[in-house]
Amino acid sequence: MRNAFLKQLPILLLGASALFSSCNNSAGKTGGADSAATSKETVKIGVLHSLSGTMAISEVSLKDAVQMAVDEINAKGGVLGKQIEPVIVDPASDWDLFAEKAKELLIDKKVSAVFGCWTSVSRKSVLPVFEQNNGLLFYPVQYEGEECSNSVIYTGATPNQQLIPAAEYLMSEKGGGYKKFYLLGTDYVFPRTANKILKAYLLSKGIPKENIIEEYTPFHHQDYQTIISKVKRFAADGKACILSTINGDSNVPFYKEFANQGLSSATCPIMAFSVAEDELRSMDTEFLVGHLAAWNYFQSNDLPENKKFVADFKAFCAKKGLPGGDKRVTDDPICWAYTGVYLWAKAAEKAGSFDVSKVRNALYGLDFPSPDGLVKMDPRNHHLAKPVVIGEIKPDGQFDIIWKSEGLVDPQPWSPLTSPDKDCDWVNHNGTYAKK
Amino acid sequence: MNTSLRMLMCCFLLLPLFSAGQDSASIYTAQLLQPPADSVRTQAIGRLAALRIPATFPLLMAINDKKLYLLDQKAVTVDSKPTGEGTYRLYSLYPDNTLLTNSSGQPLLLPLSALKTVDIPRGDRLQLAGIAPLLNLFSNDAQKRTLAYSQLKNTGDSATLSILQAALAKETNADALRTGKDVLYAAQLYKATTTANANAYIDSIGDNWSDNAPVLLRNYAKAGFLNQETAHYAAAKAISLEKRYDSLQRIQNFFSGLSLGSILILIALGLSIVYGLAGIINMAHGEFMMIGAYTTYCTQVFFTHTLGIPQTDIFFLCALPLSFIVAGAMGWILERLVIRHLYAKPLESLLATWGVSLILIQTARLLFGDLTAVKTPQLLSGGWQVSPHLTLPYNRIFIIVLTLIMVLFTYLMLFRTRLGLQIRAVTQNRQMSACLGIETRRVASITFFIGSGLAGLAGCAITLIGNVVPDMGQTYIVDSFLVVVTGGVGKLAGTIFSGLGIGFFTKISESFFQAVYGKVFILLFIMLFMQYKPKGLFPDKGRIAED
Amino acid sequence: MKTNNNTLLYILFIAVFAILLPAGYLSGLLSVNTISVWGRYFCFAIAALGIDLIWGYTGILSMCQAFFFCLGSYGIAMHLLLKKTAAAGAVLPDFMAWNKIETLPFFWQPFQSFGWSLVLCLLIPAVFAFIVGFVLFRSRIKGVYMAIITQALTLAMWLIFLRNETNLGGTNGLTDFSTILGFPLSSSSVKLGLYMISFAVLCGAYFCCYRITHSKFGRVLQAIRDSESRVSYTAYKVVDYKLAVFVVAALLAAVGGMLYLPQTGIITPGRMDVKASVEMVMWVALGGRGNLKGAVIGALLVNFLYSICTSLFPDSWLFILGFLFVITVLYFDKGFMGLVDSIKQRFSATRFKTPQTTH
Repeated sequence: MRNAFLKQLPILLLGASALFSSCNNSAGKTGGADSAATSKETVKIGVLHSLSGTMAISEVSLKDAVQMAVDEINAKGGVLGKQIEPVIVDPASDWDLFAEKAKELLIDKKVSAVFGCWTSVSRKSVLPVFEQNNGLLFYPVQYEGEECSNSVIYTGATPNQQLIPAAEYLMSEKGGGYKKFYLLGTDYVFPRTANKILKAYLLSKGIPKENIIEEYTPFHHQDYQTIISKVKRFAADGKACILSTINGDSNVPFYKEFANQGLSSATCPIMAFSVAEDELRSMDTEFLVGHLAAWNYFQSNDLPENKKFVADFKAFCAKKGLPGGDKRVTDDPICWAYTGVYLWAKAAEKAGSFDVSKVRNALYGLDFPSPDGLVKMDPRNHHLAKPVVIGEIKPDGQFDIIWKSEGLVDPQPWSPLTSPDKDCDWVNHNGTYAKK
Repeated sequence: MNTSLRMLMCCFLLLPLFSAGQDSASIYTAQLLQPPADSVRTQAIGRLAALRIPATFPLLMAINDKKLYLLDQKAVTVDSKPTGEGTYRLYSLYPDNTLLTNSSGQPLLLPLSALKTVDIPRGDRLQLAGIAPLLNLFSNDAQKRTLAYSQLKNTGDSATLSILQAALAKETNADALRTGKDVLYAAQLYKATTTANANAYIDSIGDNWSDNAPVLLRNYAKAGFLNQETAHYAAAKAISLEKRYDSLQRIQNFFSGLSLGSILILIALGLSIVYGLAGIINMAHGEFMMIGAYTTYCTQVFFTHTLGIPQTDIFFLCALPLSFIVAGAMGWILERLVIRHLYAKPLESLLATWGVSLILIQTARLLFGDLTAVKTPQLLSGGWQVSPHLTLPYNRIFIIVLTLIMVLFTYLMLFRTRLGLQIRAVTQNRQMSACLGIETRRVASITFFIGSGLAGLAGCAITLIGNVVPDMGQTYIVDSFLVVVTGGVGKLAGTIFSGLGIGFFTKISESFFQAVYGKVFILLFIMLFMQYKPKGLFPDKGRIAED
Repeated sequence: MKTNNNTLLYILFIAVFAILLPAGYLSGLLSVNTISVWGRYFCFAIAALGIDLIWGYTGILSMCQAFFFCLGSYGIAMHLLLKKTAAAGAVLPDFMAWNKIETLPFFWQPFQSFGWSLVLCLLIPAVFAFIVGFVLFRSRIKGVYMAIITQALTLAMWLIFLRNETNLGGTNGLTDFSTILGFPLSSSSVKLGLYMISFAVLCGAYFCCYRITHSKFGRVLQAIRDSESRVSYTAYKVVDYKLAVFVVAALLAAVGGMLYLPQTGIITPGRMDVKASVEMVMWVALGGRGNLKGAVIGALLVNFLYSICTSLFPDSWLFILGFLFVITVLYFDKGFMGLVDSIKQRFSATRFKTPQTTH
C-alpha cells in the first residue's frame, strides 16, 4: 500500500500545483512588466470595492458608477484605441483582504489603475501595497486629509472642501449665526481628524472652548438616548447646532431619537458630513427633513451635464438589472468614482501611455467637465479642485441646495489650521514638505 | 387658515399704531409688484422692511420664502404643501391676507403653472434678513415661530416688543409660547426699575421655565442690573431651576435605562427559553430579529404600494403578529432541519447556527440590498411631554409596554398552561420527561417557534428606534447572551432582572464615561459577578444543578 | 498502517509547501503574492493548533483566541512602526502626531527593541490568558458560559482597541511598515523568507502539540474534556491543567499573529471582532477537532476557499461558507479529517476483504 501511495505522489503534487496556480492564473499567461500597455486589445483596470460585508451597502454603488464610466468610454472607442477591461474583486469589507486583493490586482493581474476603497482604514491598508508596487489608486470618498501619497489620486473632498465651508455657513448670518457646536461622530479616523480641524477653526473664529463639545460613539451604535439628552441640555439656550460625522447605520437611530425627544432642525440643525442621497434612498426621511449636509455634489444640481449623468445612471442600473433599477440615485462619492475613470482615461490619452508615472504626470492640472461642472486636478498634488455645496434634506431624500461656493475650492490635504507648517507638492518637492 | 385669521386679527389690533405708514405701504407694494425699474423694486422692499408694518408681513414673508405669485395682477401665495393633485390653496397677500375661494365658496385650487411667479433677486431678498424673525412670528409653522421668538432675544425696542406681544396673544403652540414669553419677560425685567417689579418678573421667568431661563437669570445676576438684592434673587432662582432640571434628568436617565433594559429582555426572552429547553446556543437568534424587522418593512411596503394606503398606522398593527408568525415559522423550519440533530450539544449548535446566520444575513442582503427603514407610525412618533423638560418618546414607551405584555404572556404560558408545564419538565430533565410520556420533540419545536417568534417581535419593535439592515441581529446577539448568562439559563425572572440591571447599569455608566467605556465596564462587572454566581442570578438548586 | 499513513501525509505536506511552492515561485510559475498568501494561511494554522488544543482536546470553547492573535500582531506592528518612524527621522508614528500626542506613550517604549518586542508579544498574551483563565476556571465556569464570557471579553477588547484614545491606531489599526530587522518587507526574497519561517514554525508548533497531546498531560486534558468532575475526584488539579493549556493556546495564537503581521502589512481591530473569533473556531471544526492535522488543514482550507470565493463568487461566498459550517456540524462532526478517515475505512473495507491481516 505504501508503494501505491508513493506512485501516486507525483500525480498528487501535479494536481496540487495546478490548484495553487488556479488562484492566480494570469501570472503565467500575461507575464512581463509592460504587458498592460502592449497587450493587443484591452487595458485592465482594477475595481476594489466591497461587494459583501458591512460596507457593501455603500460601495456597490461606486462599483456600478465605475462600470458605467467604463462602458461609456468603451462605447466611444476606448482609451488609446484599447477597450477597458475592469477586473472586479470583492474585498468583503475585510481590511486585511483589501491588502491581499490589492496585491492580486497589481502583481497578478497587472492592472494599469485601480478604482476603489471607501473607508479610511481600507485606503490605509492598501497604501503600502500601491507604493511598493508603483500602482495608482483612484479614491473617490471624502477623507480626513493629512496624507499625500504619490500612488493615490484623491477625487473626494479634503477637509477644507467640506468641513470648513459648512462651519462657516452655520456661523454666518444667513446660515443662522450659530454660536455653539456639538461635534458628534463615529469613532474612527475621519471624524476624529475632521473634528480636530473643525475645533481649531471654530476656536480661531472666537468660539469659546466651552461652547464646543466633542463626542464619539462606536460603529453601529444604536442607543442615542443619553447623547440626545446631553445635546438637549447643550442646546437649551439656543444658537446651538450639531456637526455630525456619524457614519452608516447609526444615523437612523440618531435622527429618530433626536426628533422624538422634541428637538428639531429649527432649534438645533444637524449638519451631516456622511449622509448622502444614496444612504437616504430608502431611509425613512421623515425625521431628517430640514437638516443639512455638506458635500461637493448633489443629485439636485441642475447643470445639463448632471441631468444627463443622473438619467444615464438610472438607465444603466435599470438596463443591467441592478438592485433598485431606475430608482437609483447619484451622490457625491458616485459622482467622483465616475469622474475618476474619466480623469484617468483623459490623462492616459494626454500621456499617450498607460504607464503609471506618465499618467500621474499628465494628471497635474488636468480639467474635466464632470457632472458637477468643470473640475480641475491640483497642479502640484493629487487632489481635485471642485465646488462645495450645502443642501437641506427634502422629504424625497434629495437635497435642496441652499449654498454653493463661488467657483472651485482648492484642495488642502494638510489643513493650515492643524498643520500650518506642512504642504503637499509632488512637482517641486517630494510629497509632503515643510513650509518655510 | 387659522394663521391667516390670526394675522388678520393682529393686523387689526395694530392698525391704529401704523396708520401713518399705511398709505405709503400701498404705494411701495404696487411698486414692488410692477416695478418700472429694478432699482425701484429694491428700494421699495428696503422701505417696506424699514417700515415694519404688520399688514405687509404676509407679503414680505412670501418674498422671503420665494413663494410670491401673481394671479390676475394680484399678489398671492400658496400653501407649503400641495393638496394632493398638484394643486395648491391660495392666499391673497395685501392689503388683506385671506384664503381665496371660488364662486361656490370652496377654496380655490390651482396648480403652480396657472400662476405667474414673481422673481425677486437674491440681493433684494437679503434686505429682509434683518426683519425675518418678525415675519416668522406670523408663520403658520410653529417651529418657525419658536425660532423667531428666540431670535428676538435681546431686543429692547418697544416697537418690536409690541409686535411680540401681539403675536404672543394669539400663540397656540406651547413651546413657542414659552419661548416667546421668556423673551418678553426678559426684556421687561431689564426695564424694571423697582426691586419688587424685577422680582416679580424673575418669578414669572422661573414659572415659565423655558430652556433658556437659568442662563438668562444668571446673566442678569452677573450684570447686577438693578441692585444686589435682585441679583441674588435671580441667582437663587437659577440654581433652583437647575436643581429641578437635574432631577428631571435623573428621571430621563432612569427611563433610558428602562427602555434599553426592556429591549434586551425582549430579545433575550426567546433566547433564554430555547437555550434552557434544548441546550442550544442559537447564534441565529439575532437573525430572527432581523426577519421580524424585514417582515415589518414588507408589511409597510405592501400597505403603501400594493394596497395604496399610505399614512396609516394599520400596517404596524398587522406587522406585530405577522413578524411573530414569520420569524416563528422560520425558527420552526430551522429546528426541523438543523437544530433537531444537535440537542444537548451546545457548542456544536453554536457553530451550526452561526452558519445559518451567515446564510440568513446574505439572503436578506440579496433580497433587500439597501439600507431600509420602517416608517414610524404617526401615533408613535414624538413624545409624551411630561413637563417642559421631560419628554418620554412614545416609541420607547411602546416598547416598554410591549415587553411587559410579552413577559406576562411568557409567564402565563410557562406557569399556567399544560404546554408550559411540559416545557419546564423538558428543561429540567429531557430523558425523564420523555419517559413520562411527554413528546419532547413536539415540545421542542413549539418552544422554538415561540422563542423565534419573540425574537421576531423584538425585531418589529426595534424598527421603531433603529434601522433595518441585514446584520442588525449581530449588534444585539452578544448582549442578549450576556443577559441570559447573567440571569441564569431558562429562568424568566433571571432574564428580567439581568436585562433591567444591564440596561440601568449601562445608562448610569454612560452618564459618567463615554458610551464605549460604559460597555467595557459592564463586561468586566459581569465577569466579576460570575465569580460569585457562576450559574447566574437564579441557579438551579439540588441534584439537577450538577451535570 | 496508521503511522505509515501519517508519515506519507507529512511527506506530502512538506513536499508541497516546502519544495513545490517555493520552486514554483522561483521558476516563475507562481507569483510572490501566492507565496505570501499561503504564508499567511500558515499563521492561521498555527493559531488553529492552539484552538484545537484547548477546544478539541480539553473541551473548553475559548472565543478569545482572536484577541490573543491580535495581541501578537499588534506587538510586532508597534515595533515595525517605531522602526519606520525612526528611519524617517521622527519620534512619533504619524497617527500619533496627527492626534496631537507629544510624547510616546509608556507602553510603546519597550517596543523600540526587537528582542523586547518578541518577549512582550509572548508575555502579554500569556499573562492575560493566565489572569482570565484563573478568574474563569477558579469559579468553575465552563461550557457555554465560558464561550459567551470569552466572546464578551473579546468584544470588550475590540471596543477598546477601536478607540483612538488607547493610542493603538483605532479602527485604522497599524499599517505602513517598511523593514523588519533591516530587511525591506516589500522585497520578494524577504517574503519568501517569511513564508519559509512561517512554515517552519508551523511544523515546529505541530510537533510540540503532537508531543503534548501524546504525553500524560495531554491524556489528562482529554480526560477533562470527557468528564471534568471525574478527573477532579481523582485528585487532579483540573484548574491547573486548564490554565496551562489555555496559556499554551494563547501563546500559539500570539505566535501566529506575530508572523501574520509582516506578511499582511496591516493589523486592525477587525481581526478580533465577533465574526473573526467565531471563524477561527470554525476552521478547527471544519478540519476536525481533536485532531491536530484537522486543525491545520481546516485553517488552510477555509482561508483558501475564502480567497478564491471572494474573487469568483462575490455574492454567494457567504452561502458557501454558511452551508459548509452547517453541513460539517450536522453530518461530519469530526470535520474534514473525520470524513477522510471514514472514506478510507470504507475504501479499505471494500477493497481489501481481509483488513485484519494488514495490521
